[in-house]
Amino acid sequence: MSQVTRCWLSFAAIGSGVVHLALVISSPLPLAVPMLVLGLAELIWAVSVLVKDRIVTARLAQIGATAPLILWSLLVVVATMLGTPQIASPLRFVPMAIAAAFELFIAGTIAVYLRRVAAASHPDAAPAPTQTQSAGRYLAAVFVGGLLVGALTTPALAATQAGTVAQEHGGTMGGMMMMDMPGMGHH
Amino acid sequence: MTKSPNRMLATIFGAVYLLIGLLGFAVTGGVGFIATKGGLLLGLFEVNPLHNVAHLLIGAALVIAGLSSIRASRTVNSVIGAVYLLLGIVGLFILDSPANILAINGWDNVLHFASAIILLGVGLGADKGRVATA
Repeated sequence: MSQVTRCWLSFAAIGSGVVHLALVISSPLPLAVPMLVLGLAELIWAVSVLVKDRIVTARLAQIGATAPLILWSLLVVVATMLGTPQIASPLRFVPMAIAAAFELFIAGTIAVYLRRVAAASHPDAAPAPTQTQSAGRYLAAVFVGGLLVGALTTPALAATQAGTVAQEHGGTMGGMMMMDMPGMGHH
Repeated sequence: MTKSPNRMLATIFGAVYLLIGLLGFAVTGGVGFIATKGGLLLGLFEVNPLHNVAHLLIGAALVIAGLSSIRASRTVNSVIGAVYLLLGIVGLFILDSPANILAINGWDNVLHFASAIILLGVGLGADKGRVATA
């Protein structure tokens, strides 16, 4: 896996981790604790990937990226079936959906990586070519990843309880606080 | 310098932060040094004089490191990236409290967060094999 792809994976994990941490504020304790653990784990994993120059605990990371999606889906289904939307409403739609996009990117990229590792371990496999790139090109790719994660994380954070407080203190964050999205809720 | 992502990033970010720090003083006339409500830079980012000083110090550290060596720029990029990430997270919780001595608003958090991931990504991920030869 290239250095840029690892960097993007790490950025996605940081974005997802920060969104999950921001959701802790508005969540009741049974949801806040797993959100806190998940957010911190994502941040630690992101830094580990950068520091160790490889995908750390790839299978566990893949499970960690998909499990919250499945659990959130189940929670929404249960809340709908029981007619009690307050069960799922603390996990607002916009931040959870954006965190889900990050998680899907992580899970998909790791799946491709694991397949390539399995193929490379085959006795007939050709050695992988060594990739080298210029500093400018690498930096441009990092900037694109950083801006994309920032652009996706901004509306996610704005739609959390923490972001709602920001509306009172520093404006509407360019109108993003005024979005009327299903499941987002207003105060 | 153009061969090292860390040196290039530190120099560019440092110059930008120095500029932001200087421009900040143009919108913080009459604002208390640690006032929780400051002036709006570019109509978006809320700053007070302490926030401007922080931008100037961070910009200076980045520029000096970027012009010095790969090892220095890697260290400074990583440390400032980590501090920004922490500030981005803490900033979410202190927006409407007296602890907000940097007059942080929502857009500041976004800027801090974006800076954090780019600085951390390059600081921790790039130039690993080249530090010894820097």
